[in-house]
Amino acid sequence: MGRFVVRRVLQAIPVLIGVTFLIYCLVFLLPGDPIRALMGEKQDPHLALVLRARYHLDDPLVLQYWHYISGVFRGDLGTTYTGRSISDIVAQRFPITLKLALTAFGFEAVIGILAGILSALKRGKFLDNVVFIATLFLISIPVFVLGNVLQLELGVKFKLTPVAGIEDGWPASYVLPGLVLAATSMAYIARLTRTSMIESVRSDYVRTAIAKGLPRRRVIGVHALRNSLIPVVTFLGMDLGSLMGGAIITERVFNLPGIGGQLAQSVSLREGPVVVGLVTLLILIYLVANLVVDVLYAVLDPRIRYE
Amino acid sequence: MRGAKSAKWVAIAAVVALGATACGGGGDTGNSGKGKSDGVVSVEIGQPQNTLVPSNTYETEGGQVIHALFTGLTKIDSSNKIVNDEAQSITTKDNKVWTIKLKPGYTFHNGEQVTAQSYVDAWNYGADQTNAQQTNALFSHIQGYSDLNPGAKKTVKVHTMSGLKAVSADTLQVTLTNPFSAFPTQLSFTGFVPLPKAFFKDPKGFGKKPIGNGPYEAKTSFVDNEGISLTKYAKFPEASQYKVKGINFKVYSNQDTAYKDLVAGNLDVLPVIPTSGLATYKKDLPGHNIDVPEGAVGFIGFPLKYNKAFANPKIRQAISMSIDRNIISSKVFLGARTPADDYVSPLIDGYRKGACGESCTYNPTKAKQLFKEAGGLPGNSLEIGYNADGDHKVWVEAVANQIQKALGVKVTAKPFEQFQSILNDLGAKKYQGAFRMGWQMDYPNMEDFLRPIFSKDAINNGSNYAGYTNPQFEKLLTEGDQGATAADAIKKYQAADDVLLKDLPYIPVYFYRLNTGFSNKISSMNLIAHQIDWTSVKLG
Repeated sequence: MGRFVVRRVLQAIPVLIGVTFLIYCLVFLLPGDPIRALMGEKQDPHLALVLRARYHLDDPLVLQYWHYISGVFRGDLGTTYTGRSISDIVAQRFPITLKLALTAFGFEAVIGILAGILSALKRGKFLDNVVFIATLFLISIPVFVLGNVLQLELGVKFKLTPVAGIEDGWPASYVLPGLVLAATSMAYIARLTRTSMIESVRSDYVRTAIAKGLPRRRVIGVHALRNSLIPVVTFLGMDLGSLMGGAIITERVFNLPGIGGQLAQSVSLREGPVVVGLVTLLILIYLVANLVVDVLYAVLDPRIRYE
Repeated sequence: MRGAKSAKWVAIAAVVALGATACGGGGDTGNSGKGKSDGVVSVEIGQPQNTLVPSNTYETEGGQVIHALFTGLTKIDSSNKIVNDEAQSITTKDNKVWTIKLKPGYTFHNGEQVTAQSYVDAWNYGADQTNAQQTNALFSHIQGYSDLNPGAKKTVKVHTMSGLKAVSADTLQVTLTNPFSAFPTQLSFTGFVPLPKAFFKDPKGFGKKPIGNGPYEAKTSFVDNEGISLTKYAKFPEASQYKVKGINFKVYSNQDTAYKDLVAGNLDVLPVIPTSGLATYKKDLPGHNIDVPEGAVGFIGFPLKYNKAFANPKIRQAISMSIDRNIISSKVFLGARTPADDYVSPLIDGYRKGACGESCTYNPTKAKQLFKEAGGLPGNSLEIGYNADGDHKVWVEAVANQIQKALGVKVTAKPFEQFQSILNDLGAKKYQGAFRMGWQMDYPNMEDFLRPIFSKDAINNGSNYAGYTNPQFEKLLTEGDQGATAADAIKKYQAADDVLLKDLPYIPVYFYRLNTGFSNKISSMNLIAHQIDWTSVKLG
């Protein structure tokens, strides 16, 4: 196991370097000019030239990348074209995204898996149908509709949750956005767990376990559940990555200044260094999440060995 | 927030543990829709583009904060006239050499006296290309500006403008390159405020927690995407006129969200109601809304400098006359715009109602006739470009339909990703069609609606994207600059305006209106030139 982890970490290094260069190229290739984007509708061509020179924007791509990456190795992530330090941006926005993503992750893991197990055990019964309709409902409603409706009802009308912002801190400010962000995945997880669970409940080893007289709780909780969790864990692991970077809509609706919103803004402003910095961070998270998933496979199913 | 209360203590612990910086003090004032006694109001802003340095703030969001923190030499009063603010007197004989005497008693929030030198240093910093300040071009009237701006990749050798002199501690002498009668008006812009010595030691730190000379001082540092809290500066000479004890500027990335927060009572002032709220805001906020004209105009422009198809003014007149501005204003914008009948906003001294006359009046028959006389457009088609990232799709499409109906040409509304994509294509002479364009004033003077958009100089350092030039217009503009009195200047500027109205380089379509909402905590308030007039804010 140890060697497996080390190998995976080493593999991550070329992936990271390649990806930073690729993203940098992509942002560079986007049409449009960051300095013009900066000035909006009131352009000052003289000032634009001064700023272009300052941020090396007239240099060829390779040179620009070199300026950037050599800074990164010196521990300097660079600045935006308005002079804000990118490290500051990350330090400020990352905790917010992390709180939001983990809240959502908690919701989808707990509620999703529980709903899935219950509906598998009560297959065809009333509860199963409730879960089926609820998940159908969640999957078919777009996130921004759900977000806005819940915000208007719970926030503006009944004042149960804050309307927006992070002033009330965790958990008050994050419960509703977390729930909204988790909604779709929660539904998928419930269904995935249900299918997988039904399959394991029918399998031979469960029948054997029941036959040798194990209590039902142990049969379901350990024998069946553990085996049926493998696809669910895969899904959860992948989802953590997208919860981090893909919360743009939720962040906007609830005015949470997280990574997603910054990323969207920086792409539209052509701020290469910011995009690269944030995407690299997201990739790191993704790689770590994947590694954890792989390790969890072995924990869940002792037959899986990595040596 | 009642339901959240029990969770709050946990929340605080979690926040501390995670080391996240909550907007200082914002937590308690933001929620207290009913707490009238504290005298603190919260105001929505967007994330300012740059750190809060006055000369680097050329947008309304940061401008709102700077306006509360700083005081300049002149200001705009409630009737949109320029009056002296920190200046005791501003005198000139020839509109070229200006002598400005300062009122005594003004100090920066760190106690430093505001002197003539504070202004000299601030303006030299703003004009110096080394510092690449956004408002750089605003200083271009001052003598010696060009020495500080030799061009990109050249080193600046002199860092002070020869036209700026602090004659004594309270007297400032400014020499301009050419006479410019609108200079005192220009001084009301937040780019022209003074800076304390502390700024030059640490511009970066200053940008996070500015030390101003205005009615409010920074209580906290600015936290990106969250905001800043200000508190009343007791030593401000006119402090008694300000009833509001503190201001929390809260950053929203989405104005729809801010609107919901306003209706829910978590926010006190939303300076600009988003489009989604325009239909309902007067009902949602009865007696707590403002609907006044703003110093901004919406146009349709043409690439005059390289597309000869638009060269004939009759073509532009025909297009202009096929637009039904009343429909656009009332139906598309739900009254948030009014039909434009001049190049100058109705706010401004010198605006003439109906100046555009026939050219801006809907008359499809005459339009078609003019269009035919002028020989029509090549391919019998017209494109109107707009930036899809703003709220422009609907009205540009409506205008396109109207023109198509009136002139019988195929008109398409062409989306560009961003406004600067249009500019890029115009710069590269790639785009042949018409395009939307808007102008928001920097200072309330006719000159600001003419020179930055239509003068020859503005091709290089302004917003003359059409590449329009007319020597007669330039001449009248210069004469306006030299006008002995304000009335003389206006007369000349109006004559320059007439040249434009005849030429129609751009088609004025609508004037913006400012739609503002405020909470029950405030009983009345005003905005001047899209900034909150803090002396007018009365708490209820």
